[in-house]
Amino acid sequence: MPKPRRKRLLPRSSRRPLWQSAILYLIVIVWCFIVLFPFYWLVTTSVKRPIDVSRGPNYIPYVDFDPIPDHWQEMFGSQRESTLRHFRNSLIAAAGSTLLSVIIGAMAGYGLSRFRYYWGRLGWDNDNIAFWIISQRFLPPAIFIVPFVLLYNQFGLIDTYAGLILAYTMFNIPFAVWIMRDFFNGLPIDLEESARVDGATRWQAFYRIVLPLSAPGLVVVAIFSFIFAWNEYLFALMLSNFNAITMPVLIAGQNNTRGIEWWFISALTLTAVAPVIIIGLLLERFITRGLTAGAIKG
Amino acid sequence: MRKLSLLILLGLLTMVMAAGASAQDFSGQTVVVVTQTGSAIGGPVLDKGPIWEEATGGNIELQTFAFGELFEKIVTALSTGSGDYDVLIYAADWAGDIMAPGYVMAIPQETLNAIESDDVIPLYADRITTWGGVPYALPYDGDAHMLYYRKDLVDNEMYAADFEAAYGYALGEPSTWTQYRDIAEFFNGMEVDTAGSMAPIYGALEAQRRNAQSYWVYLSRAAGYGKVPGNPCFFFSCDDMTPQVNNPGWVRALEEYIDIRNVGDPEMINYDVADTRTLMATGTAVLNLDWGDVGTISVDENVSLVKGAVGFGVLPGGDSYWDYEAGEWVMEENPAPFIAFGGWIISIASDSDVTEAALDFASFLASKDVVNELAVTGGTGINPSRFSQLADTAPWVAAGFDEESAADYLDAIQNTINHPNAVLDIRITGSAEYLSTLDAEIARALAGEISAQEALDNVAELWNAITDRLGRDAQAEQYRAAVGYMGDM
Amino acid sequence: MQSISTVREDRLMKRVFLSPAVVILFALSVFPLIWSLGISFTDMQRGGSTIARQAEAEGITEGVGFLGMGFELTGRNYQRLIGDTRLHSTVRNTMIYVFFGVTIQYVVGLGLATVLNQPFHGRNLVRVIFLMPMMITPVAAAYTGRMFFDSNALRSPLAHFLRQLSKTLQLEQTILVPWFTDINWAPIAILLIDAWQWIPFMTLILLAGMQSIPEDIYEAARVDGANILQIFWRITLPILFPISMTVILIRGLEIFKIIDVIVVTTGGGPGSATESLTLYIFEQALSNGNYGYASAIAYILLILVIIFASVFLAVGRRWSSSWER
Repeated sequence: MPKPRRKRLLPRSSRRPLWQSAILYLIVIVWCFIVLFPFYWLVTTSVKRPIDVSRGPNYIPYVDFDPIPDHWQEMFGSQRESTLRHFRNSLIAAAGSTLLSVIIGAMAGYGLSRFRYYWGRLGWDNDNIAFWIISQRFLPPAIFIVPFVLLYNQFGLIDTYAGLILAYTMFNIPFAVWIMRDFFNGLPIDLEESARVDGATRWQAFYRIVLPLSAPGLVVVAIFSFIFAWNEYLFALMLSNFNAITMPVLIAGQNNTRGIEWWFISALTLTAVAPVIIIGLLLERFITRGLTAGAIKG
Repeated sequence: MRKLSLLILLGLLTMVMAAGASAQDFSGQTVVVVTQTGSAIGGPVLDKGPIWEEATGGNIELQTFAFGELFEKIVTALSTGSGDYDVLIYAADWAGDIMAPGYVMAIPQETLNAIESDDVIPLYADRITTWGGVPYALPYDGDAHMLYYRKDLVDNEMYAADFEAAYGYALGEPSTWTQYRDIAEFFNGMEVDTAGSMAPIYGALEAQRRNAQSYWVYLSRAAGYGKVPGNPCFFFSCDDMTPQVNNPGWVRALEEYIDIRNVGDPEMINYDVADTRTLMATGTAVLNLDWGDVGTISVDENVSLVKGAVGFGVLPGGDSYWDYEAGEWVMEENPAPFIAFGGWIISIASDSDVTEAALDFASFLASKDVVNELAVTGGTGINPSRFSQLADTAPWVAAGFDEESAADYLDAIQNTINHPNAVLDIRITGSAEYLSTLDAEIARALAGEISAQEALDNVAELWNAITDRLGRDAQAEQYRAAVGYMGDM
Repeated sequence: MQSISTVREDRLMKRVFLSPAVVILFALSVFPLIWSLGISFTDMQRGGSTIARQAEAEGITEGVGFLGMGFELTGRNYQRLIGDTRLHSTVRNTMIYVFFGVTIQYVVGLGLATVLNQPFHGRNLVRVIFLMPMMITPVAAAYTGRMFFDSNALRSPLAHFLRQLSKTLQLEQTILVPWFTDINWAPIAILLIDAWQWIPFMTLILLAGMQSIPEDIYEAARVDGANILQIFWRITLPILFPISMTVILIRGLEIFKIIDVIVVTTGGGPGSATESLTLYIFEQALSNGNYGYASAIAYILLILVIIFASVFLAVGRRWSSSWER
């Protein structure tokens, strides 16, 4: 975010009439409430007795209901194996595809930024190739359902980590390439050139000089790849059965025929969103940057 | 109370001993069991699994999916041969898509002996677990739709006179859908006493949620109007697989299924069977139809407010029925209980790499002792499927029924499964697809998007398309075999 | 300056850098795309095609179907599209989701961005809070939404709030919205869940766009005597136009993919009021095993997406050029 401008903005705020400020803060607070209250509701529901859920609504722990730790204990007690298996699988699939997306995205982004390509048969230059790559991101996944099932079946990839990682990498590459190309375009070429003059190969220049400089871009790509893979539902449901099954499938599967156990689902949902929320809180500036880079320059 | 705990202890002890006696060593082997989410059906795997694990050293892992996803997951996993699931606990009517292609292994005779399969009611033992005469599954659960009603209200003097004055006949257990609706209408909105407090009650409670097996409820209604006595072919005509789903009997059933919301819980369009079961036990409605579960749930003091107040009966029938061969209505009362679903059964995947352990666990889970204990326990989803469960009221009384209710409950079950005019479900290849198209179209009619006739016309068209795609002759042959049709009768 | 060896090395490296991405996209995107076009013209289904099944029943094992490959080429799948009323309603639902979803999210997002563009205390904190919904899995958002849109005032805080509100306002009838049970309300509930999750996305991007507008332009306008509204219409909106087009396009294309929220909340019901194309394709392909038909529907979806994107880009280009003039 452009810091220097704040100096210019602040004096203006003092010129603002009081009622405008009041409205401004009111809107901000209302919207923050809309965003945050569901999270609060998840947290409280996860410690309510079933009767407090169905004969409520109860809002404040210790005031209108007594919190109990039972559902959390169940999740990490009798359901422990199931919870941990799904969680671990999500972690592996997301981390694996993140790693691949970052590496492949950075390479392709660098290539598109520093070399001139020309695909003679299609008559495509760098811009066409980049546009083609980003356009893959917007294909409806539904179109891949049938071929993926057949293809994965053929190669024994169903219900494997490799299968999920490959699929998610495919979905993440377009964004990764787009962001990294953008990033490298903004990086001065002088440093690499001087390194090459000193005898470094292209690869060494990329690996030793360019990559470390582009860490912020890599972080952006990593975060977005991770969040996408972590949250993905359709392909996880389709391509995994047991060994590689992920959290979103577990959560969606709680639609059961004995009435929905909201208290348990709340605990499960919180467990599933905790990692991404933590990432979000810690790395907020990278995310904002990724969002704006993706859209504004897109 | 002491008697009960002693009984349970005794049961547990015999089970541990039984399991211990036949125990083979399966150390280091993991058996993956797949079934639906929740405590019903899947719950016992978690509860009983440790006993088996202790005895054999094997390891049980449970993978669950919502019912709406379960068929798709099982069939995809099996058809791709990924070998991920070893033991499958699934709906009996999927046999055509699971047993027919050879995805599951035939059950050896020793295993059938071990679970005392001659104690299993033939309907469940032979019909729903075999394909082409070969047993491919172990019976686990027995399912047939039954009628539940608040007998403290329906059999109550207080209301009898008013009811008779309004409808011209005596209030009692309904034997036709018309009576069923009358009773629902009579009580709907009335302030009645439930567990000591006065509250308005709904007339009827039926599952109508889409994608949640609600079509069984509709089929139970359609049976009364569409089943022709003496002709076992109900969904299709047996000679050329013409769908009967849009004939006037079926249409009337759907119109009444839609209309029941006017004299029942208006939210029922969003309820699945689990919701209606729980709500019935909390006393919000007078009438309900369901599998055997309401019986055991209604006596569970932790969740039920209507213990001892629920009456059980065979499903109502039509006050007339549509004879599709003659093309006319026959003005005759037509009780036709629907053996809905048939029950959950247990199979072993052919591509499993731990078939022995899987088979051993399956036979443990389907053993007489375990199943008998599960059948009397509320919330397990396991309903009576064995003679020994129906023969004696003692275990039911021990589980919380009073003597009269237990007898009533077992009677209703027996009368249903032994009924000469009982309707058997679609047990042919593609059954899941036939039923899911039915589900989607009746959901549209329930929501008021299209009329009952339009919805069922669509279903008929889609069923024809499915039949043609799968091969009309082959399908007809399967259907004839499934219902036991012997040519012209 | 460059020796021959570095030129050759460059030529090699150039390939090395781009190849992995291109190979993966070709193998897992382009190839499946073409393949599924092919499948859509066959009678392929789970466990073999119709013709293969018939052949198997008759004991024929070889030379079945098109070039002996065990399936038949057919245009039937595309014929079937025309008469499939459930498909038509899913197409309509999907268009509704896209159109209204984008509209709600853009309008509210723009409004919020305008507010947040004013300096105030705690802006950084607010930005962090805004990120939270869009990071959680849609499945979780859907369950949370389902808790709120439950019409039972004993369970749902929203229904409870509406009931209290009607009491306070002394309305004759309690406000009771049948969110998931009514065919008109159910799509709205789903739209709102999606909006809750993605309005912050719109907001943050539009906000970033607004902050990149130099203050001098506003200053100049104010000197010319323009009021706030005029400034918004004449300056802010036109400058934001390209960004707006991009975010609307991105969100629109994303909403075309909607399935998770629907699976968790309504399963497509009541009726087929909330069923989306993706959900229908999923059911046809995996529940019913109709690979051929599912692929044909998927191509309809693809065509809709392409039309949407092209029309949008074309219109966007024309508008932006007219604005520049």
